[in-house]
Amino acid sequence: MAGKLLTLPQRWPVTRQRQATFAALIVVEALLLALLAARLVQVRVVEDRRELVGNVETIHFRREVIGDPLLVALLAVGVAVPFFSGRLRREPVLLVALQAGILSLTIFVLWPLGQVFAQGFRAGPLATGFSLLQFERLLETPMVARATRNTLYIGAMSAVLATVIGTLIAYTLSLTDVPGKRWLRIITTLPLVSPPFAVSFAILLLFGRRGLITYDLLHITSWNIYGPHGIIFVQLISDIPLAALILSAVFASISRDLEEAAEDLGGSPLYVLRTVTFPLVTPAILTAALLTFINAIADFGNPMLIGGGYQVLATQAFIQMIELFDLQLGAALAMLLLVPALLAFALQHWITSKRSYVTVTSGARTGQVRKLPGWIKWPLYGLVLLLAAIDLLLYGSILVGAFVRAWGFDYTPTLENLSGLSSAMPMLRNSLFVSVGSGLLGGVAGILFAWLVTRQKFPGRGALDFSATLMYAIPGTVIGIGYIIAFNAAPYFWTGTFFIIIVAYAFRRLPVGLRTAVAAQRQVDPSLEEASLDLGASRLRTFALITFPLLSRAFFAGVIYIFIRSMTDLSTAIFLNAGRTQLYTVRMFRVMITGTPSEAAAFAGLLVVIILISLGLLSKLTGKSFVDLFRI
Amino acid sequence: MPETFATASITLDSLSKHFGATRAVDTVSLRVPAGSLVCLLGPSGCGKTTTLRMIGGFEDPTAGRILIGDEEVTTLPPYVRPTAMVFQSYALFPHMSVYDNIAYGLRARRMPRPEIKARVEDALAIMELHGQQRKSPPQLSGGQQQRVALARALVTRPKVLLFDEPLSNLDAQLRVRMRGEIRAVQRRLGITSVYVTHDQEEAFSIADQVAVMNKGHLVQLGTPRELYRQPADRFVAEFVGLSNIVPAELLDSNDAGAVVRVYGQTIRSRRPPRRPGPDTSLVLRPEAMRLEPAGASGVPGHVQTLAFVGPLVRYVVAVQDGTLLTVDQHNPDPDEFFVEGTAVSVQLPAEVPALLS
Ligand SMILES: Nc1ncnc2c1ncn2[C@@H]1O[C@H](COP(=O)(O)OP(=O)(O)O)[C@@H](O)[C@H]1O
Ligand SMILES: [Mg+2]
Repeated sequence: MAGKLLTLPQRWPVTRQRQATFAALIVVEALLLALLAARLVQVRVVEDRRELVGNVETIHFRREVIGDPLLVALLAVGVAVPFFSGRLRREPVLLVALQAGILSLTIFVLWPLGQVFAQGFRAGPLATGFSLLQFERLLETPMVARATRNTLYIGAMSAVLATVIGTLIAYTLSLTDVPGKRWLRIITTLPLVSPPFAVSFAILLLFGRRGLITYDLLHITSWNIYGPHGIIFVQLISDIPLAALILSAVFASISRDLEEAAEDLGGSPLYVLRTVTFPLVTPAILTAALLTFINAIADFGNPMLIGGGYQVLATQAFIQMIELFDLQLGAALAMLLLVPALLAFALQHWITSKRSYVTVTSGARTGQVRKLPGWIKWPLYGLVLLLAAIDLLLYGSILVGAFVRAWGFDYTPTLENLSGLSSAMPMLRNSLFVSVGSGLLGGVAGILFAWLVTRQKFPGRGALDFSATLMYAIPGTVIGIGYIIAFNAAPYFWTGTFFIIIVAYAFRRLPVGLRTAVAAQRQVDPSLEEASLDLGASRLRTFALITFPLLSRAFFAGVIYIFIRSMTDLSTAIFLNAGRTQLYTVRMFRVMITGTPSEAAAFAGLLVVIILISLGLLSKLTGKSFVDLFRI
Repeated sequence: MPETFATASITLDSLSKHFGATRAVDTVSLRVPAGSLVCLLGPSGCGKTTTLRMIGGFEDPTAGRILIGDEEVTTLPPYVRPTAMVFQSYALFPHMSVYDNIAYGLRARRMPRPEIKARVEDALAIMELHGQQRKSPPQLSGGQQQRVALARALVTRPKVLLFDEPLSNLDAQLRVRMRGEIRAVQRRLGITSVYVTHDQEEAFSIADQVAVMNKGHLVQLGTPRELYRQPADRFVAEFVGLSNIVPAELLDSNDAGAVVRVYGQTIRSRRPPRRPGPDTSLVLRPEAMRLEPAGASGVPGHVQTLAFVGPLVRYVVAVQDGTLLTVDQHNPDPDEFFVEGTAVSVQLPAEVPALLS
């Protein structure tokens, strides 16, 4: 049997050289796998018992296998299964690529998520077996019930409002003829360049207890922004652009012919909107709602900064995991976050898979301005202007705040806040290192998986695609928790290393890299690759000389996108970074809590500047406008 | 479906549409008699689509009026006009089944369910789409999508059907078949139709009358036969596929006709020239000329190329002044071809229907 699997299938012109290459490949792979296995399963010698015979004490040792047999078994299956396909054995490159894909997804996606469930159902650190103890503990804590309710409330409110407002903004900026659309599009996208908690911070600068507007201008002292409404407001500021981006891509691609055909057949404008336009954008609306919901429930920084003691699951999990180091209870909390996210994902997936339309056909006219009566158009425009004004105010206050002595008290200009940054240089270096690393890793993985799922046929392709996209629906907090649980003990003691942060970011953003690359792949005519294969180039050569060069733009776009997202992440970072690997956002967050507003503004300002520079770079590389860069 | 529709004529009265400085359509007046099919023919960008879209109500005319029957519809929105359009992209709703697509217009009119069902089934039968009604549009072949688009337009019983290059997404063979089907349905229902195309052959094979457009103007309206025999100007002549346009010298003219000299030969025209003056030009139709071996009376020339396409052989002959003339010979005998380079004598027709200018 094994012999059969290691030979190339007949029917194929098996030359001796081919067979030799294949054999060599298998040997190399076997070695690598052995190394991996040695890393994953280790044998440790431990003291078993001591025996005193007369004067002589004998110490008995026992060999103990550490490492998780389940993981190893999963990996073994993952490596072995592709061998059974004759088609794959015929194409060793494909075989190895697939095995690498399966291995990495198993270790870095499925395993940490599975661990959240495994630990959540465990009674304690050393306990084995299934237990509901953690959930009983949660039920006993009134705080948790409240945090769960709060989280769902914040998530639902933010998702609904951000999606509705984002849809209106996208409609206005893509399909009406209002002045200044180009600039408005850029300004309303601005919140995506900074971490969400920087928005909270800026809101506090303006509307906080000593806020410029509330205190200095309006002299309001009775009212305060802290609490759930504050969280939702901040969440909206950063999620509306996200929803608007997703929707505007779709609005721009709806074929005008469809709406005209509907009108021509007798549908009045409102009837057409209800029966044609709206159903066509439903999938995008659901995607926007899903992403904004997940963002809102995952968010850790905003509730901490602006919640004013309002507890949500993300903050509770942080307390349990990091401050009390109760992994099991933390895992159970993470499960409470994971379940609604997965339900939302399943729902969105179920609905959109039934109706996903390629709306662009040849000869179709898209993205044309729709005639709207003024009483609809101008209020919409007012909404866009309002959002743009808020965004400008927020970022303006960060930049100004960095250069005044003490925001709220003393507005004399100074450069001294910048000196506080010098102590943060090691963290900035860490962040840059980690983000570049995860960008490159995620970019490569994105291209690889895109190549596998779009161009190749093999059994289980759907499952691979699903696993690679799964992280899309996982709150960043849960990813942090899953990684901590999965990789905190020998032989996978990787917490506190750069390696684990890089991997976490790369796999967290893999779905985006994957989708970008898939979209680019689809643009490339498959006959180009076929021509190359037909002319005698091997798969590897074809990939290197044809596929990759054609996809390189998508690759770099993916890299920089992941870089930006990693630079601005807090939810995952807060769990995974340690003393030596402390990240800039974590430091910045602490300064916002403990330092002066002006110091913190300097931190936020520097980050925004770095992101803007990377975006400029990306814009040059891809030739796309700033706004389109986020549309991936 | 009823045997015939309540149909109506279309009248365009000095219709214009300007996009900024572009005069997409410039004072076009045209009457499409009830029950007939008129093709708008012209090169890309000449304003055909814009004209059609004004009839459908998608563009507001800059000036002029549109009448359907006796009713003026110039300012009516598309959804209350008695028109139905078949789009170049078909514009089938991708989120609806074939059945729902066809029923769309009826539902928009809030028609009772049983009647919708009856009408849609009728349409499915007429367009030979049985068994397809549950499918979604992308699952259909191009020809089937085309039929769904037509069925969807027909069920609403419009007074006027509008087609914008409906066959351009199909391959050549299907194109020929579908245009036959469209014409058959249009004839059977007797529904007034305007059909936009840039393909002369398509226009000629399907239309009662062809309206040739150029740069926003309507240049000539006539039956295919009239356009072919008496093109109004050089543009029409070239566009309807007449390539031999030669200069002529006017020798004599009166109300009954004219006599001109072409390459030293005298030719009679059954109509006088439209403009006075000694210089004119005319069209020599390829099948109206013959080739003889050199030496016979006629215009001397050399065969440049010959193309044998079954029932005819098409020669391109260079005559004295370098002009290339296309000469068709029907039912040729392959043993008697004039091969490339042969000196020949081109026999011009003794009479042409009209002069060009
Ligand atoms: N919405 C529009 N805005 C500006 N110019 C247009 C628009 N639609 C058509 N045009 C211009 O009007 C002219 C006629 O276009 P069209 O009617 O589409 O031509 P055809 O269908 O004959 O190819 C072209 O020059 C075209 O560029
Ligand atoms: Mg056109």
